[in-house]
Amino acid sequence: MVVAVSVPSQAQAVLRGRLCDPAFVHSALRSSSDTNYSKLKYLVASSFSEACNNSVLLLGPRGCGKAAVVDMVLDDLKKEHPDAISVIRLNGMLHNDDNCAMKEIARQLCLEHQLSFSKMASSDDNTEFMIDMLRECGLAHKTILFVLEEFDLFAQGKQRLLYSLLDAMQSLTSQAVVIGVSCRLDADQLLEKRVRSRFSHRKLLFISPSLDDIQRLLEHLLILAKDSGLPAKYITDYNSRLTSIFSDKKFKGCLNYLMDADATTSNILRFLFRAVSYMDMESGFLPIESFLKALSSMQRQPKMDSLQDLSILELYILVCMHRLEDKEQSSYNFTSIMKEYRSIQDAYKTSDKYASTVCFRAFEHLLDRELISFGDNRGRNQALEYRPVKLLISSRELAQSLKLNTTCPAVLQKLFDRERYM
Amino acid sequence: MSQPVTPRRATRSSAAYPASPTSPSGSRPKSTPRRQPVPTAAAKEEEGEHERSTVDVLLEALPGRRAQATDLLRLLAPAPALPLLLHGGAATGKTRALLLALRHVRPRPLRVAYAALRSLPSPRALFASLLTQLSPPSSSSASSRLRIPDKPSDFVAALRDALAGLSAQGEAVYLVFDNLEVVRSWDKGGQLLALLLHLYDLLRFPQVVLVYVSSATPDAYYSMTGSIEPNHIYFPDYTVDEVRDILMRVHPKPKLYSSFLSVALKPLFRVTRRVDELVAALEPLFRRYCEPLGDLKAVPDESIKRRLFEHIQPHLAVALNETFSVPTRTSVDECKDRSSGGKARSKSQFGSRDGLPTELEFHMSVSAKYLLLSAFLASRNPATLDAALFDSTGGSDNHRRKRKSSQASMNMKDTMAEEMLLKGPGTFPLERLLAIFQCITSVSEDYLGDVECPDSMMNGSGMTGLMPDVLLQLSTLCNSNFLSKSRSCPLEGSARYRSNIDEDLALKVARSVSFPLSKYIYRR
Repeated sequence: MVVAVSVPSQAQAVLRGRLCDPAFVHSALRSSSDTNYSKLKYLVASSFSEACNNSVLLLGPRGCGKAAVVDMVLDDLKKEHPDAISVIRLNGMLHNDDNCAMKEIARQLCLEHQLSFSKMASSDDNTEFMIDMLRECGLAHKTILFVLEEFDLFAQGKQRLLYSLLDAMQSLTSQAVVIGVSCRLDADQLLEKRVRSRFSHRKLLFISPSLDDIQRLLEHLLILAKDSGLPAKYITDYNSRLTSIFSDKKFKGCLNYLMDADATTSNILRFLFRAVSYMDMESGFLPIESFLKALSSMQRQPKMDSLQDLSILELYILVCMHRLEDKEQSSYNFTSIMKEYRSIQDAYKTSDKYASTVCFRAFEHLLDRELISFGDNRGRNQALEYRPVKLLISSRELAQSLKLNTTCPAVLQKLFDRERYM
Repeated sequence: MSQPVTPRRATRSSAAYPASPTSPSGSRPKSTPRRQPVPTAAAKEEEGEHERSTVDVLLEALPGRRAQATDLLRLLAPAPALPLLLHGGAATGKTRALLLALRHVRPRPLRVAYAALRSLPSPRALFASLLTQLSPPSSSSASSRLRIPDKPSDFVAALRDALAGLSAQGEAVYLVFDNLEVVRSWDKGGQLLALLLHLYDLLRFPQVVLVYVSSATPDAYYSMTGSIEPNHIYFPDYTVDEVRDILMRVHPKPKLYSSFLSVALKPLFRVTRRVDELVAALEPLFRRYCEPLGDLKAVPDESIKRRLFEHIQPHLAVALNETFSVPTRTSVDECKDRSSGGKARSKSQFGSRDGLPTELEFHMSVSAKYLLLSAFLASRNPATLDAALFDSTGGSDNHRRKRKSSQASMNMKDTMAEEMLLKGPGTFPLERLLAIFQCITSVSEDYLGDVECPDSMMNGSGMTGLMPDVLLQLSTLCNSNFLSKSRSCPLEGSARYRSNIDEDLALKVARSVSFPLSKYIYRR
């Protein structure tokens, strides 16, 4: 199907594809020789060639490319030895129940070796099956790689899975490598004594990227290479504009701001994805405005936005609650708020006096928006009017929102301020 | 032209604009797969022009949402895309904007699977809904054989299989999760929420785009499980002018309606900004507004406008104090009886205090009303006052209690009043309730005068004849939540009850049986 796609859309598709592909993003980690990638590859390859068992932990903060490195190593090894490696993947979030994990291991083993998997098998059957498979594969010189993501979640509870796995590796003639990936740097301390003794204490540590790394990552991700399938003139124009933007002070400020908040790769990727989505579709270039727009859309403060969306009556209720808190009432509920509201209306005679049901509806809207919440965890024994509530916004946020609200009556502002200076 | 999948949901705003051609209607089938691939003639259109016209068409259907619509179109397509989270208050048009954008997005998505989490009761139902929407249509007859997974791991495996089957065709599949915030209150909701937000990492399919819609802000979803944080799009509430535009859009009488809105919208907007509540409040008001006009097609000039404004003014004041109006028999009669004495009757309907109706809007039997009043008094008054209030004559005797109170006792009474405000109505045992009930019904017997009664139940010790009824009434009142049963006292072991009604309702009930309630309420 021939589709006439314009050059900007093509470029955008290429860039977006790159940003969503973790292998491409972290491929820079492959380049130098002393990286974790090469160490892991050496480990697995040597255990394969020497027909021994091994286990290793990859530790590091989130978004550093641990899973990407594992994938890259596995891809490389699969290309080199296509038949001799089978991979079993487990995730601690999904499979932290031991029976579930055993079933999943059995299922994946059956899938790899074209056996039929019975869902009715019990946990003991699955364990026996796994041990048999390990033995068989060991005799046939095939390595089984177990990749355990969120390893620290497997270490909760009794650690039966880990123990049986590591024990099987030690006692049988098997060839298996266990690769654990975790974001907790002390994941190996969580292991029980018997499990830890069977675990080889190899750890590979990953660190967050530094500013130079981020700079290199930006160039790697956004600069188009000559062979991207786009017209050459467009590529040169685009690259030159982009390099000039990278050296622009505004852009550097924007990047610093982003990194101050969160310096992980995933945050940078989100920012770049948004900037690429705001690409100027007529010219096909990335202007600096798209980066700035992406930054401002990531900088929103949800509570301030919610506060701008409130009606006048809801603001009255918030100001009454604030006054009650200033009067140091330790706990208050809807009836006390109503008492305060009525006293304000009697004192100031505003036009905003409403019935109790209407005020209660506004109160429920505030609960929905999660600007206030109940202070107790008790169930439904009490009517909603009598349960203690508390404010979930600070007085500074409330003050700022009252200032920014153009339709706010002046008396509200006065009521709010009076508390400060009384 | 072929349509992408249309989900079943009919939003309120879509019901409000029937004229708009792109709004989904109520009873479409759940998921119709694509009928034909995009014809090449359509694909040869100029891309830039196409995008502009797409945005314009979308903006026509979504007033006041220019920034959000452009963001949606940019961020949703083409695949691959990072997950997306739409957040904003209730009734701000998030779901509608998303579904319309998914129709207009280019390239056309292969499948849109929509999970309305608010209507799904459990995680298993969610899994079932998604898997049936993603399964190929040819196997719809065999869908009964589809085993619905219970555990999240099985679900992810089944989802992967279903998506592998679909994405072989190379086009985008969108998974939409609507009302994500309700998952937090499900059983084991935290785990399921972590799973849903982690799906992007778990599935690793470049053609799958995940979209979440939530009315809770994004900081409700930060957990320690390290999912990829989605891109946010915020939907602010509408401003007054935008609401006016929305309401004016499909009204058949624009000039009249715009003069009405210029009077009625701003005051109502101060109370609530939600479009659905405003529409519900404005509709009966508009009917009243048009009442004095003989010819509804007339374009109002200044004098007519002023007359209509004066007519609507008192009704507006009433409407501001109501959350919803239940048409009572008196108001229905008044509508029929507009010409004669309508104004006088409307004044009486407005009542004496703040324009609230003073009559009870529902029917209860007399014994139930007395039981309710005794429950209210039992909750409200401390037990020590019972002897003084309900003496043998059944009347309250205020004269003995008038004493000059000292400052300390007044402070104590203030703190007691504060406590009463905070703690709410008190609990009482069943015996106390029955005792008060007997007292006040014996009092009211004197007030009722002679009531013709064919059976001899009311003679002599008439009230013992009502006892079995009382216990039945008690359970009825508990079921309708006028009374609630609290934990029984561990020492005595008898059941304790608590009344849930407020003073306004109790006064209405008392007025309907002519019982002097205010004499008996302990006031501080």
